[in-house]
Amino acid sequence: MISLVLRRGALSLVTLFLLASFIFFATEVLPGDALDVSLSADEIAMMPPEVLARRRAELGLDRPILERYTSFLGGLLRFDLGRTIITRAPVADIVAMPLRNSVALAGLTLLLALPVALAIAMAAAQAKGRLLDNAVSGAAIIGYSIPEFVTGLLLIAVFAVWWPLFPATITASTDDPLSVLLAAAPLAVATTIIGSIAYLGRILRVGLIEVMAADFVERLHLSGIPRWRILWLHALPAAMIPGLSAAALYAASLVSGVVVVELVFAYPGIGAELVRAVTRREVHVVQAIALAAAVCVVLFNLAADLGIVALDPRTRRS
Amino acid sequence: MTALLRRPAALLGLLLVATHLVVAISAPWIAPFAPTSLLDAPLEPPNATYWLGTDDLGRDAFSRLLWGGRVAMLVAFAAGAVAVLGGALLGLFAAHRRGSFDDVLMRLVEMKLAVPTILFVAIFVTGFGQSVPVLIVAVGIIQMMGVVRTTRAAGIVLMEQGYVRAAQLNGESGATIILRELLPNVADLMAVEFALRASSALLLVSALSFLGLGISPPTPDWGLMVEDGMALLESEPALVLAPALCIATLVLGINLAAEGLSDALGLDAARGGGG
Amino acid sequence: MRWGWMRREVAVADPVLQVCDLSIAWCGPDGRANRVVDGVSFDLAAGGTLGIAGESGSGKSTLARALLGHCRAGSAITSGSIRLDGDDLAALSEPELARRRGRLMAMVPQNPLASLTFHMPVGRQLEEVLRWRAGLSASAARLRAVELFGQMGLPEPERLARRYPHQLSGGQRQRVVLACAIACDPLLLVLDEPTTALDKTTEAQVLDLIRRLRAARQGAMVIVTHDLNVVADICDRVLVMQHGRIVEQGAVGTVFAAPREAYTRVLLGAALRVEEASRASCASRTAPGPALLEIAGLGFRYARPSLLRRAPLGPPILDNIGLTLARGEVLGVIGESGSGKTTLGGIVTGLLAGQAGEVRFDGAGLPGLAARRTREQRRRIQMVFQDPLSSLNPRRRVGDAVMRPLRLFHGLDQREAARRAAALFEDLGLESALLSRFPRQLSGGQQQRVAIARAFAAEPDLLICDEITSALDASVQAQVLDHLAAMQRRQGTAMLLITHDLSVVWRMARRVAVMQGGRILETGQTEAIFRNPANPYTAALLGAATRAARAGQPELVDTKG
Repeated sequence: MISLVLRRGALSLVTLFLLASFIFFATEVLPGDALDVSLSADEIAMMPPEVLARRRAELGLDRPILERYTSFLGGLLRFDLGRTIITRAPVADIVAMPLRNSVALAGLTLLLALPVALAIAMAAAQAKGRLLDNAVSGAAIIGYSIPEFVTGLLLIAVFAVWWPLFPATITASTDDPLSVLLAAAPLAVATTIIGSIAYLGRILRVGLIEVMAADFVERLHLSGIPRWRILWLHALPAAMIPGLSAAALYAASLVSGVVVVELVFAYPGIGAELVRAVTRREVHVVQAIALAAAVCVVLFNLAADLGIVALDPRTRRS
Repeated sequence: MTALLRRPAALLGLLLVATHLVVAISAPWIAPFAPTSLLDAPLEPPNATYWLGTDDLGRDAFSRLLWGGRVAMLVAFAAGAVAVLGGALLGLFAAHRRGSFDDVLMRLVEMKLAVPTILFVAIFVTGFGQSVPVLIVAVGIIQMMGVVRTTRAAGIVLMEQGYVRAAQLNGESGATIILRELLPNVADLMAVEFALRASSALLLVSALSFLGLGISPPTPDWGLMVEDGMALLESEPALVLAPALCIATLVLGINLAAEGLSDALGLDAARGGGG
Repeated sequence: MRWGWMRREVAVADPVLQVCDLSIAWCGPDGRANRVVDGVSFDLAAGGTLGIAGESGSGKSTLARALLGHCRAGSAITSGSIRLDGDDLAALSEPELARRRGRLMAMVPQNPLASLTFHMPVGRQLEEVLRWRAGLSASAARLRAVELFGQMGLPEPERLARRYPHQLSGGQRQRVVLACAIACDPLLLVLDEPTTALDKTTEAQVLDLIRRLRAARQGAMVIVTHDLNVVADICDRVLVMQHGRIVEQGAVGTVFAAPREAYTRVLLGAALRVEEASRASCASRTAPGPALLEIAGLGFRYARPSLLRRAPLGPPILDNIGLTLARGEVLGVIGESGSGKTTLGGIVTGLLAGQAGEVRFDGAGLPGLAARRTREQRRRIQMVFQDPLSSLNPRRRVGDAVMRPLRLFHGLDQREAARRAAALFEDLGLESALLSRFPRQLSGGQQQRVAIARAFAAEPDLLICDEITSALDASVQAQVLDHLAAMQRRQGTAMLLITHDLSVVWRMARRVAVMQGGRILETGQTEAIFRNPANPYTAALLGAATRAARAGQPELVDTKG
């Protein structure tokens, strides 16, 4: 059991190492160096060659690629994410607070969406093929067909413009306490929750319907075991497994959703930081944000993997 | 096909997709104004001349709406095609070959799953610049990894079938086995995957455009139009809501058609979704 | 035994269960109702054991579930009644049925592994029935569960109760579901294919347990099975079903001795009768010709999947196998699932490569995997697979399947290949019009004959047949085997006939090898081994396979009384 946990943990570390390498090579090696992509062609043309060379040396760009790669990895081990190209500010300082805010938004979404999705899935699976189930399936398909920024805008149009209950954009600032920030962002939270419920509800419904048709459910039914016991004690743990297997996908889509929603509501998270960094070609900031997101997804996935191990004794064979 | 048409939801989906396709293709002929021409009247409310009004630069919103799906749809369908063709060949090759090629490919797929799609494209755009070909390749690669997973899983099941065994025993080449025995049997799956990947690519592309990382101005695009119009939501809601509605109905149409298709073919669409 | 004092006083003549004109229909996707049980009527007295026999698709499992008042989603009882202990189950509401299930009627489901909740220890699953159906307290249920497991002959019941279903053997799982079903001592016990997943030794033990349970209790038992040998072994009445209807019913001795209906005769015709002369219908050289296939010291293990790809080997699947096969000879290889017989076939055909020993073909060493063999070796060794549908590409016309080896190995052009394919079809009793059909448009028997035609198209010297009749109906099996024998006689092909069905070997092969646990137990003339098995395992296999035939003999009818 312990060895299994350690092995999964080690696998996650391997994945993270590969991801870090991928992020480094995709952003820094091809097709030009960090300075080329951070400055426009005009700027480079206007700079005297010796200034350009000095900037290169300052940034370490004159060193061979492998050396830069190893120092990049070494920096990661020391939680040193480097400095920005233009302002030379530490990347970690720029990313830290927005990351905290985004994680809080995603965590709150998961916390609220999961029970709702579960309740909806259970109700729909119980009524399979009937009106309620069809309504839920229909709502789910509409739910994940509408991009988050459209959902967000519709919520703003209805609840901020026509019926001004909530503010359209968030006035709180990056460093505010989380409680202040989240309290100021009801529409943003609602937007991410709607997407999550559609996604989770769909997966859980399919899993439940599959399990409710399983042989062991039929045996229990034919033994006269009460329906609530079959559903809660036998079917539900089994139905969670396909949901947990899709956890990495869900986590990744949640992060993507959060990025977009932050832009719609001007929520001070990594979304806004990311867009700013990409448009300014701040390579180190993009790297840091991509890495932070990957760490979150990998950790979430690790937790889900261990959840599967806890639910399914068949996976415990070492 | 008849089984598909018997489902009202699937039929609605096909109608939505067909309408959007026809409009997008015929936009140059049916749009009353050129989508990028600056008319002299900015921020006109909807009227008989400008059906949806004009935007802050004085461009006709209705004309831009008709044009606005073209590039996004081009990117989505091209990326979907890249994803399905490349993904199916890679997935089937991995199922046929197994061994270390399969291991490495699956590690790559898992790795991609850990990078949120928007960040994946952001990394690409940072490295390669912002253009339609870069978008097609980046979005195609993202979607391809999901297709690799499903077709590989299907391929592994097929490899156990007697007819594949018989072909192997007769010494047929790997290419013959993949193209002759495996590929025709994942055609159904590929059709459904194409629809799912295209819809997911479309969502991604419009979100990217909205963020300013996708299609660049002044190309008329729904995602960009939503972004531009956001500040004017209160005064000119049509500028935002019309393109938003277009994106939603197109994606919904593809998803409904995909669901109907996979139902009719006896496949499980929910498993293939996302990614 | 605890249930001894719980016997119910029921007059023997009074039927416990009365099924009258029962019909069950599935509603198809096109809205048309499809009757799977059609006008079925029968009675069952207390203490009686009824066998419901039929092939897959005969509606026997649907009928079994209906005896508990249950129809799977999409199906419904359309007419008739099921009277159990005075009530008509067809007319009761779901809560009323739930109150009776487990107590009045109980079911032992078909697949014990899938029928037990995989994430719950088996002890808790039995305790659940005892608490919620028998009304015991938590502590009483725990004690009683261990006691019941002990009565089921499960070893170390207390430890076993804490284990998960996947950690038990097939026989143990069967005993667990049996314990759950009899936990409340039901009046009617329905067993659906209770021994299908088990090997013959375990089957005998489980049937023994069922027999003891029956002796200890007064209720009625219904056993649903496709295996007439099981019916002969344990039932006193039999009901034969085909296409949802009852073809024939009566006392087991009477029906098996003198079946009135043609279908019953077909089913019984497949039963093994070693008293009669062997009907080995394949041509087999009597004079020992030159050896075509020589296997010596063959061993095989699967590589365990491993993170580091060092791939340590698993337990031995084949161990020191030695066999020889002469040109034109037909050798039967019999054994149960897990005996390694399919692995042996896979190694000869080149799907797998053994790690130890040597395989020689026509005097030359035979490389392991097919890809390493010469084209000529690949042509000369062909295979027919178990599942006829999966052995043909569903997206290609069946003519393509037969023409491919003709073009690949004999270099024929399209027209010539089509002509030869048509000739092969004719040899196998298939119309040439079928060449342009897709596999799904053919029946199972036709599909398997196409697969045989594909194998013979290469004009092989050695044909490996792996369980080629086990997926087919009894009536079709004989036809396919007859065509195969005719082709074998015409081409003088040597055959390795791998099967668990002893009657197939009896019918086709003069010589037989018996496998168990990856070893060959004995090899010899089929008639000699089947009449006087030297090995106790072979004797057990033969004993199990000849029960149906023995049940039809007069002296056995008498002892059954």
